[in-house]
Amino acid sequence: MSTGRTISIGGASTSRRDAWTFGVSIAVHVVVLGWGALTFAARPLTSIAEPMPVDIVTVSEFTQLTSGSRTAEAATPIVDKLGERNPATDPAAKVAKTEVHAATDATVPEPKPPTPEKKQSEPQRDLIAEAIKKDLAKPEPKKAEQKSEPKKAEPKAEKKVEAKSEPKTPPKKEQPKFDPRKVEALLDKRTPQRVAATGDVVNSAVGLGAPEGTANQLSQSEIGAFLRHLKTCWSPPPGAISKRFTVPVTIRLKMDRTLAAPPEVEMRATDPYSRAIVESTVRALIQCQPYTMFSLPRYELWKELPLNFDPFDMLGG
Amino acid sequence: MRSLELTLSRRRVLAGAAGLSFAAAAAGLWSRVRAAPRITITEGNMQPMPIALPDFVGGALPDPAMARSVTQIITSNLQRSGLFAPIDQAAYIEKITNIDQVRFPDWRQINAQALVTGTLSRQPDGRLGARFRLWDVFAAQYLDGKEYSTPPDNWRRIAHLISDAIYERLTGEKGYFDSRVVFIDESGSKERRVKRLAIMDQDGANVRYLTRGDDLVLTPRFSPSSQEITYMSYSQGQPRVYLLNIENGQREVVGNFPNMTFSPRFAPDGQRVIMSLQQGGNANIFLMDLRSKATTRLTDTAAIDTAPSFSPDGSRICFESDRGGRQQIYVMGANGGPAQRISFSDGAYSTPVWSPRGDYIAFTKQAQGRFAIGIMKPDGSGERILTDGYHNEGPTFSPNGRVVMFFRDPGGSAGPSLFTVDVTGRNEQRVPSPSYASDPAWSPLLR
Repeated sequence: MSTGRTISIGGASTSRRDAWTFGVSIAVHVVVLGWGALTFAARPLTSIAEPMPVDIVTVSEFTQLTSGSRTAEAATPIVDKLGERNPATDPAAKVAKTEVHAATDATVPEPKPPTPEKKQSEPQRDLIAEAIKKDLAKPEPKKAEQKSEPKKAEPKAEKKVEAKSEPKTPPKKEQPKFDPRKVEALLDKRTPQRVAATGDVVNSAVGLGAPEGTANQLSQSEIGAFLRHLKTCWSPPPGAISKRFTVPVTIRLKMDRTLAAPPEVEMRATDPYSRAIVESTVRALIQCQPYTMFSLPRYELWKELPLNFDPFDMLGG
Repeated sequence: MRSLELTLSRRRVLAGAAGLSFAAAAAGLWSRVRAAPRITITEGNMQPMPIALPDFVGGALPDPAMARSVTQIITSNLQRSGLFAPIDQAAYIEKITNIDQVRFPDWRQINAQALVTGTLSRQPDGRLGARFRLWDVFAAQYLDGKEYSTPPDNWRRIAHLISDAIYERLTGEKGYFDSRVVFIDESGSKERRVKRLAIMDQDGANVRYLTRGDDLVLTPRFSPSSQEITYMSYSQGQPRVYLLNIENGQREVVGNFPNMTFSPRFAPDGQRVIMSLQQGGNANIFLMDLRSKATTRLTDTAAIDTAPSFSPDGSRICFESDRGGRQQIYVMGANGGPAQRISFSDGAYSTPVWSPRGDYIAFTKQAQGRFAIGIMKPDGSGERILTDGYHNEGPTFSPNGRVVMFFRDPGGSAGPSLFTVDVTGRNEQRVPSPSYASDPAWSPLLR
């Protein structure tokens, strides 16, 4: 009976608790769902900015863009002007000289009189023994004796120290003294120099970097200028091309940006039409020189240019 | 023994590793060498090529003016093609006296990309001899040279042949200058218009009339052998397809059909003629062998199938039909059978003609009260309108398939005249004719 009662009481309390948690649950759900409904509600698309053209490059192209030149030569120092031979030939020597002049700055090590303990202790012991004896005899003069004792002991010690450290101790007149008029002596007196800036031969060319370096390619703007320039010269014969084919040509340029040799076509024209296209590319490359868009310091990058002429987009279909 | 084996295997392993690393290094090196970045040029310009054509050297000729005339015809041919820009002779620095020696810098200076030098002379047998040399000015190279001889009254052909040689060498495509055009010459007032069959060089010279103008003639077409023409004429009140030999003037009716026949055209072999035959309210396409007179029926529909044209390889036929409700272009096999519609856009398509290159079908398109000339690929793709206006009709391809000739009627009291336009839609030019002209048909090259 009692058990049943207990159960009934427990059941009542359980149902009350259930109702309470149920209420809380509903409230929380309402809050969460309401917040979600408001927060996650679909918003009208905001206007999208102008589409940005993106060039998708393949991994191999990217590797090409960032890889160094296999043929890169050892970096030569960049030289802006011809340097005189005498200064700065031996920077070490100068540094040594300056050290002598800038002596005021140097902190001369102060001789620290070593305190030979052993030898000092001996007279101390004597003194104490004497003092005890005197103490026993005359307590009064003890103080005076105690004061004078170290004075006596000092000269002894000094003598010994002097004898030992005399040759190492610098003369007193050379002791560092700050003199504002000689501030300049504190400055680095070495002749201003950039070791790489002067040399026997003027060389403004930037090195090609290490063979494994990056960014040794022509810039996109240089290539763009080259393509725009070539567009004005190249008139492929207007036949119809049924399939894509390219004409591989390599040009070698001199430093004056003209062709060092006739363009080298790396294909064999098999029919009159491809022959006409090949000839049109050679004609264009000869006619379009000089290629002034290339800058001289980057000569290594454009002295040899492998090209592909692809007329399909113009004539195809 | 075991240790020996072990040593060997170790050696092998070492050797193998070394070999592998070497191979890897070599492959890496090779890939680096191969992967040299190339700049790809995809854009050029479609400017005509500047070309210098100094007068042919013709000092020994009884008529030195002829040398100049030959040069002028070549110049005019190349200019009209739209692919060349002949440079004014006043700008020339070097005066050519020896056609085999050229000072390239002089021609480079006036920006000539190509240079033509030549001589014209009277040969001991009285024939006219011509030699020419073609030079690449910027590459400082000799490109081509040929010699021709011909009876003196045929001198214009020499100029056309040289034009073709230059065109072919510089564009890589066959020329079309040594060809003729047959057309309907129209004269008189609009009410009393006389229509005669006429033939002329592609540049409008040497016009010759083939019929007297008594009968109405329409749709002349050249035979691939270029000695014969087929056309439609109302000679006995009933339109019939005729065959005419240009050389001897003989003509005959093609086939013996009770009803009217029209829109004839030769098959590529020149031995057969394909045409339409009217049967009641319908028209169907028939093929007739000119030797055996055997006739083959290729279509059998309750519609008007007409204007058939063979593909250059003779395997297919394109034609116009209203079986779908409006006139559209269809393609079927050379032996008939099911036809595939290839034109689908708005408007009515008519007079399809297959290019000698096989790459395009040209047509007349009527839409919104205007007539346009266009081309499309044989599968119906790539439709391109070349010209559009009040009334353009009757396209015909040049022998190399690069140019389309058609006639244009401006309306009003004026009559039609002939025009050419590139298959790119550029370079529209009027073809000179003695009077009004329509229905042109371009011949193959004469040689």
